[in-house]
Amino acid sequence: MSNQLHSPWRVMAHYVCLCLLAIACLMPIWVMISTSFKDDIVIFDGKPIWFFFVPTMDNYEYIVGRGKFDRYLVNSVIVAVVSTFLTLLLGGLCAYALARAEFKGRRFVANATLLVRMVPPAVLAVPAFAMVIFLNVNNDLLVLIFFYTALNLPFAIWLLFGFYKQIPVELEEAAIVDGASPLQVFFRVLLPLMKSGYAVAGIFTFRIAWNEFILALLLTGRNTRTLPVAASGFLTDTGVEWGRIMAMGTLIVIPPLLFTFFAARQIIAGMTAGAVKG
Amino acid sequence: MPGVELIDVAKSFGSTEVIPKLNLSIDEGEFAVIVGPSGCGKSTTLRMICGLEPVTSGSIFIKDRNVTKAAPKARDIAMVFQSYALYPHMDVAGNMSFALRLAGRPKEEIKRRVDHAAQLLELTDYLHRKPRDLSGGQRQRVAMGRSIVRDAYCFLFDEPLSNLDAKLRSSMRTELALLHKQLERTMVYVTHDQIEAMTMADRIVIMDQGEIQQVGTPREVYTSPRNRFVAGFIGSPSMNFLDAQLQDERGELVVRGDGFRLPIPDRLQQQVQNTTVTECTVGLRPEHFFARNDGSGNLAALKLNVDVAEYIGSSQFLAAHLGEQAVTATVDVGPDAEPMQSGEYYFDTNRLYLFDRRTGMAL
Repeated sequence: MSNQLHSPWRVMAHYVCLCLLAIACLMPIWVMISTSFKDDIVIFDGKPIWFFFVPTMDNYEYIVGRGKFDRYLVNSVIVAVVSTFLTLLLGGLCAYALARAEFKGRRFVANATLLVRMVPPAVLAVPAFAMVIFLNVNNDLLVLIFFYTALNLPFAIWLLFGFYKQIPVELEEAAIVDGASPLQVFFRVLLPLMKSGYAVAGIFTFRIAWNEFILALLLTGRNTRTLPVAASGFLTDTGVEWGRIMAMGTLIVIPPLLFTFFAARQIIAGMTAGAVKG
Repeated sequence: MPGVELIDVAKSFGSTEVIPKLNLSIDEGEFAVIVGPSGCGKSTTLRMICGLEPVTSGSIFIKDRNVTKAAPKARDIAMVFQSYALYPHMDVAGNMSFALRLAGRPKEEIKRRVDHAAQLLELTDYLHRKPRDLSGGQRQRVAMGRSIVRDAYCFLFDEPLSNLDAKLRSSMRTELALLHKQLERTMVYVTHDQIEAMTMADRIVIMDQGEIQQVGTPREVYTSPRNRFVAGFIGSPSMNFLDAQLQDERGELVVRGDGFRLPIPDRLQQQVQNTTVTECTVGLRPEHFFARNDGSGNLAALKLNVDVAEYIGSSQFLAAHLGEQAVTATVDVGPDAEPMQSGEYYFDTNRLYLFDRRTGMAL
């Protein structure tokens, strides 16, 4: 049995599969990055040129120099960072309450939060738009932050709930007996142990807030646009400006990438190891 | 002077009453062990003393101060949890000093106290290790160290040894007893293990179904159990209980049951004469059976049908029948004896116990 599992053919087949999957994942990214360095002549050439072309910075110069790239970047950063922060703050508190407080229907609430998540954001776009128009608060970044926080909360709560459940309640009791106030229990005992949970929730929340398109398109104006919406601006009446879209896309990818690398460093398996039992 | 005092303390979870009304006084400097089967309310009692569980009614005094409504940190107590509850993100020194750091004590004092506790518990070499890099016994010691550095008035232990293997448990038992001697603090220790209770306690508090069954020294609860529960709980292997009748046979008081007839010992004569009870339960401890009549004590012969004889070194453990009723006995026959057979055995009737079959109270 184990011989079969480790036979060279099997191993090779494994790696071939993995390589194919990796290529499938990486190819679109390569297309994006390479296209962003091509001029229109190369892009619209009859057959696609994969690797060998003369790179140009024209697309980048155009985006950064002529558009309001800096403004959109600031918008995106504000919206993503603030909504991620709010989601983690509120989600963490909710999750903690669900994990610890005893009240009727606790389990139902915990599971129901995930149900809310099942609704695709696109379905919410029209009602959200109507609401915003009715309240006359469109073109405001705060509105976008509000919606993203609301959209991301269920998932964050559900995820953090699981993490809080793993922390033995005795740790909190020990801290209480040691003389810690509720805030001290939270910041000095719980938070260090919840790092991984918050990092995972943060990565997902930030990524969704950063990339979200439909709500951003509907709820923002000329000055409050986020980067994904701005990128769509290159779909013009006279054609699609592929080079510029791809250059924009390449730039958009960088911040969440950095954020993910930073956040992933906080994810440590077995954080609570050694807390209880032998 | 009572160190910890519980007056009419009751506890209910919702409509479920866990502890009806409990009165308990633990002397200052005493090592009190609360023992009982799981679910008897012993941990809840400890958590109420600690302040982690609010009382439903009644009051709790620590060092003559009413702390019923006080937060745990205002009670001058330290607690060792069953699961140790070490902070996994802090090293041993960090775990032990956490309470002192929270209290804002000066650095030198913290270091001095942690070093002292570490020395006491032989943890000096591990001060900078994380809990996950420690063995079960070491973690247990860190948990104790964390409470020792506090220099609290009263120490509470919630089954601290139950996660250790048998060998470590017995050595930790000794260490704990030694620690109590050195610290001279009031200690309240909860366990379901009667051996732990017997070996460590100054006084044992035996609980069942939320009520205290008996409070006394280990010797008292072993030699004069107040009721059938205590008699069965204390002692290992546990006492045999046999249905019997009290009878007066021409002036001689005897207890008679299926397959046996035993005379009432002098110590119980008075009680038996005064009682109206005839239906009783006889309690026979396994260790008071003998294989030979060496003429000492008041030995009475009993015919045992031995089902299994287990060899445990110098003695043998017998699973047997006396008449129709199952009994266990440990007989000291030396390490070279053949497996014991059915036949005449002897019981020291001075050590016989009688209980009212209806109420379970000792006669």
